[in-house]
Amino acid sequence: MINKQVRVYNIFRKIVIYVFSSIYIVFTLFPIVWVIQSSFKDTHQIFQIPPLLIFEPTLESYEKLFRGEIFQIFLNSLLIATLNTIFVIVLSIFAAYSLARFKTKASKNIGFWILSIRFAPAFAIIVPFYIMMYYLKLLDTIIAVVIAHMTFNLPLAIWMLKGYFEELPVEIEEAAMIDGATRTETLIKIIIPISTPMIFAVSILTFLFSWNEFLFAFILTSRDARTIPVLILALSGTHKLDWPMMAAVSTIAIIPAFLFIHSVQKYIVRGLTLGAIK
Amino acid sequence: MPEFINSIIVSIIYTSLSTILSFLIGLGLALLLNEEFKGRNLIRTLIVIPLAIPAVVAGFSWKFILSSEVGIIGAYLLRYLLNLNVAPLAYPTLALGCVILADIWAKTPLMFLILLAGLQAIPKDLYDAAKVDGGTSWKNFRYITLPLLRPLAIIALIIRVIDAFNSFDIIFCMTKGGPGTATQTLPLLGWKIGFLYYNIGEAAALAVLMIFMIIILSNVLIRYAIR
Repeated sequence: MINKQVRVYNIFRKIVIYVFSSIYIVFTLFPIVWVIQSSFKDTHQIFQIPPLLIFEPTLESYEKLFRGEIFQIFLNSLLIATLNTIFVIVLSIFAAYSLARFKTKASKNIGFWILSIRFAPAFAIIVPFYIMMYYLKLLDTIIAVVIAHMTFNLPLAIWMLKGYFEELPVEIEEAAMIDGATRTETLIKIIIPISTPMIFAVSILTFLFSWNEFLFAFILTSRDARTIPVLILALSGTHKLDWPMMAAVSTIAIIPAFLFIHSVQKYIVRGLTLGAIK
Repeated sequence: MPEFINSIIVSIIYTSLSTILSFLIGLGLALLLNEEFKGRNLIRTLIVIPLAIPAVVAGFSWKFILSSEVGIIGAYLLRYLLNLNVAPLAYPTLALGCVILADIWAKTPLMFLILLAGLQAIPKDLYDAAKVDGGTSWKNFRYITLPLLRPLAIIALIIRVIDAFNSFDIIFCMTKGGPGTATQTLPLLGWKIGFLYYNIGEAAALAVLMIFMIIILSNVLIRYAIR
């Protein structure tokens, strides 16, 4: 009797779980799927009501995209995200290692300062940044955006790697140093190889956040160094909206997210909370 | 300066509604998916997707769906099926609601992941012990889950409040602060002062005020967490 009750209860529980998570997933995926499918419509099809679910897909918007200046913007985005990732990883490995291994009174404060940048309003960073870039004559260059993206990606990478390095046993390093290796050699030949998975995850997150970033890129660029998010916004500002075109650019913009979501899923919380939560 | 006061009010409404709702939905999802069942990992991956896509795309997707020209909700559902002649993003109160909805859509996954991590860290034997003592599900939740989840929940709330307070991309993409100043939160006001009117000094002053507000806000939450 009790067994039967438990079984019914368990089935009921499962149904509740599946129903509610399905509802939420529909809510989550619907906007994205709708945008992707609309990118294969032409201007006539997109204005039809009721909306077409089955239609003859066209690549018109994508062809238009790659004929225009958009190819250059796509390259900008790629270049900015890649350069940003390289600089961030190189700098953060050394910074994180020293914060993790050389504990002084100051290192805790430095750690906190790095962290606080992440929580300052992006707006408070962009204003002085804009003024600096203006006087350095770097406005609307790729370099300006790369440096700007480091303001939020560098703390992220340093905090994630610092937490990881602290968990590594010191004994391995001590053993290497007894054998005559210097600090730098130990770091390069031992620490970096064993940390590859983490460094890889941090690189992907850094790339993704730089690729997705909007505000800095928007304020620091005007024409030559625009990125994809900036383009999406520029397109939406025109008087007559080219909906299929915007959908196509949005679809391209989310490609990295879909490529990497599986591999960074485990680390994304760590990244977004700067290692506060693992 | 009435625009500043207006922006503070909009920011407060936006931050509090968005934080509370995304926290509650995230908590609900975390409780649901804390159970073992088939397809859990797939569901988790699907839920997390909004965290990895550009906020601008999130904003555009919602603008697109809600548009009264082409949107499946704005044009089809509201206008064609329900015969309501409203454009969601052109009507002040509705626009604010829509922007908050998009923000909840984008940020709930983070609350979900943090709270799920918290739930999974609670030792299972506590529940077994409670079972022996005849605890009900509600009592388990009230006296085991909630107190043990509390530190992490507070961290999640702090992160969420700061994020919502600083949120710019989604609002900018959907409404640019309009119609009028209905969705003009403090960051949008700052953008307008600094980069539309080129009053860089005034924008910097606003940025400093915002930093102070965040420090006060997170200190209040941290106090509450320690108590």
